[in-house]
Amino acid sequence: MEHFIPSLSTRMYGSTMLSIGLGVSNFEGMSANVCKSTSKRVITKEEWEKKLNDVKIRKEDMNKLVMNFLVTEGYVEAAERFHIESGTEPEIDLATITDRMAVRRAVQSGNVQDAIEKVNDLNPEILDTNPQLFFHLQQQRLIELIRNGKVEEALDFAQEELAPRGEENHTFLEELERTVALLAFEDASSCPLGELLDISQRLKTASEVNAAILTSQSHEKDPKLPSLLKMLIWAQRQLDEKACYPHISDIAKATLEDTNV
Amino acid sequence: MLNNEEGVSGSLNRISLAQLGWRRGPDDPVEEEEAPTYLNTKINCPFLVISTDKLSAQYNGDARHGYDVGAIQSNCPAPVRKLLYYFEIYVKDKGHKGNVSIGFTDQHFKMSRQPGWEPNTYGYHGDDGLLYHGNGKDGEPFGPKFTTGDTVGAGINYASQTVYFTKNGKFVGSAPKDVKGPLYPTIGLHSPNEKVDVNFGQRPFVFDIEQLAQEEREKCQAIIEKVSLPLSVSHWIVRSYLLHYGYKDTLASFDTASGNTIPSVLPTPQENNSLDIVTYALDERKLLRQLIRNGDIDSAFKRLRERYPQLVQDDMSTICFLLHCQKYIELVMKGMLEIAVTYARSELSRFFGVKYLEDLLQDCLALLAYEEPGKSSVGYLLSLAQRELVADAVNAVVLSTNPAVQNPESCLQSSLERLLRQLTACCLERRLLNGGQGEIFCLHKMLHGVKEGSW
Repeated sequence: MEHFIPSLSTRMYGSTMLSIGLGVSNFEGMSANVCKSTSKRVITKEEWEKKLNDVKIRKEDMNKLVMNFLVTEGYVEAAERFHIESGTEPEIDLATITDRMAVRRAVQSGNVQDAIEKVNDLNPEILDTNPQLFFHLQQQRLIELIRNGKVEEALDFAQEELAPRGEENHTFLEELERTVALLAFEDASSCPLGELLDISQRLKTASEVNAAILTSQSHEKDPKLPSLLKMLIWAQRQLDEKACYPHISDIAKATLEDTNV
Repeated sequence: MLNNEEGVSGSLNRISLAQLGWRRGPDDPVEEEEAPTYLNTKINCPFLVISTDKLSAQYNGDARHGYDVGAIQSNCPAPVRKLLYYFEIYVKDKGHKGNVSIGFTDQHFKMSRQPGWEPNTYGYHGDDGLLYHGNGKDGEPFGPKFTTGDTVGAGINYASQTVYFTKNGKFVGSAPKDVKGPLYPTIGLHSPNEKVDVNFGQRPFVFDIEQLAQEEREKCQAIIEKVSLPLSVSHWIVRSYLLHYGYKDTLASFDTASGNTIPSVLPTPQENNSLDIVTYALDERKLLRQLIRNGDIDSAFKRLRERYPQLVQDDMSTICFLLHCQKYIELVMKGMLEIAVTYARSELSRFFGVKYLEDLLQDCLALLAYEEPGKSSVGYLLSLAQRELVADAVNAVVLSTNPAVQNPESCLQSSLERLLRQLTACCLERRLLNGGQGEIFCLHKMLHGVKEGSW
């Protein structure tokens, strides 16, 4: 392991730390879109509301979207109940969600070895065909060992299981070095690499496994709803170039704001 | 007594069926757009000989000046409700000079000119490799020349509003122009013995158009995916959907599960009390939905009379009409036709002449005409979806009894529905302002993976 440590101090501080946090909302420039340009078409609130009313949205399509969200995000009980309450058929066998969620929970609670076994029980090809995922799981396992203060075990694991993979892949090696560097700090949580110990790292690994399992079940790895919401923001921006019309700028509230006033 | 006006403000008593999401039977079928399949020989072009299958052209003029070009268009313009249009020519013989061109022209185009020389026309010319677009004989450097044995393609990208060209399966380039349709695929020949074959898709193309379509879609998708969303807004919207429609059990499971796994990501109820508005009467709404979904309209009526008498007081209200219709439909479904007739006489006949309800009333009564109503054109009434529609309507009127609600019509739609309407309206409006070109956004097709000829 000697060859890991020396390179660390130089690389570690020089590298930019990527924050893993979830996207921050950015609505600037959207809500107060006053129509200055005269070349744009101005659509009044009344006209726009008429257009909105003319749109045909089927209830069953909305139900489908919600079911897709519940299934993809792994809300198995909610999906079952939604099936009963709304009559919407789940798009995949709900039992497979339970297995998938068990894997996810295992990673989220730090039982990585358990998670790896469960994934292999589900379908051994998932890890065989996805070296990056397997590496990230092993890396997470290393992180858990370090978190629990098992220094010797962590060192053995890093050298025996992870280092050989690092030799095959440069990115893996850098990741490995970054992770092992946690050992250099007495209080790892306060070190500059503390983010690796953060709960968000577990969530990140967990969602990576989740996506891989979904893909192996020929299911899309992401729910459709967030993409549609992004598409809404994008579509409004696109239309801004051509017209002035009432916006929905706060997606959570979903209320129409008249931008022409 | 009869009130034929739609949507009296201040209450949902006279709300139209359309506003409740009711539509008569299946969707209006979207008419197929005609696509070019052969060369249009109806417009006289004296300098060309066209093959009997109308897919090959040969020049037989003298090519002495700029007005004896042999140009020909396709039988109809390129379809516009697509992401891309594309066609190809194969240069069989470059003739004396190889003045072969391919491109697009509008309906005013003269067949004695090269595509690209006239306004609102575009042409890629084989003898010089230049692109001409409406500036007379001033072409601009574009791509390689083409000659005997080459396959050259021309297309329209409606997303970027450009025309693009290919040579022997390779993308040559596109012209950034505000392309405005309708445009006809066009070829131009201008020296003795020039001969080309046209492929409007009757044979596989040399160029991989599917691949281009996929790249275009992925490019667009990548831009959309970069948009950032407020933290866990999807959770929030799903939750408010469940609340809105009174899917109480689902909501409880959803809350429990999201509380366990991702406590930090769930939004806390916000300062505005929009949450309270939708938690309103949750148990009642859940119960009413169950009753209606089970076809137990009597109990639903009874419950409404007990809890929300104001909603069923006016026996001419839309909600009463919907419930009576459903009761009648349930009777038909059970095969109790005589009772159904009696019921219709006592409870439905008074709605005759109410304009905004007549479509549904007609369809309901039409059920009696069929031995197997389920297989008839009004068979949709017997589906679970019709019960769901009635349940949703009852849910909305119960929500509107909340004193905190200022505009009763706001109870008709969930946040999700408002967002999806806005999304659809924005996409349609943008398409309209782009000259009505490009794919028509349709949520239903998107969710069901229906692709219109994939490109």
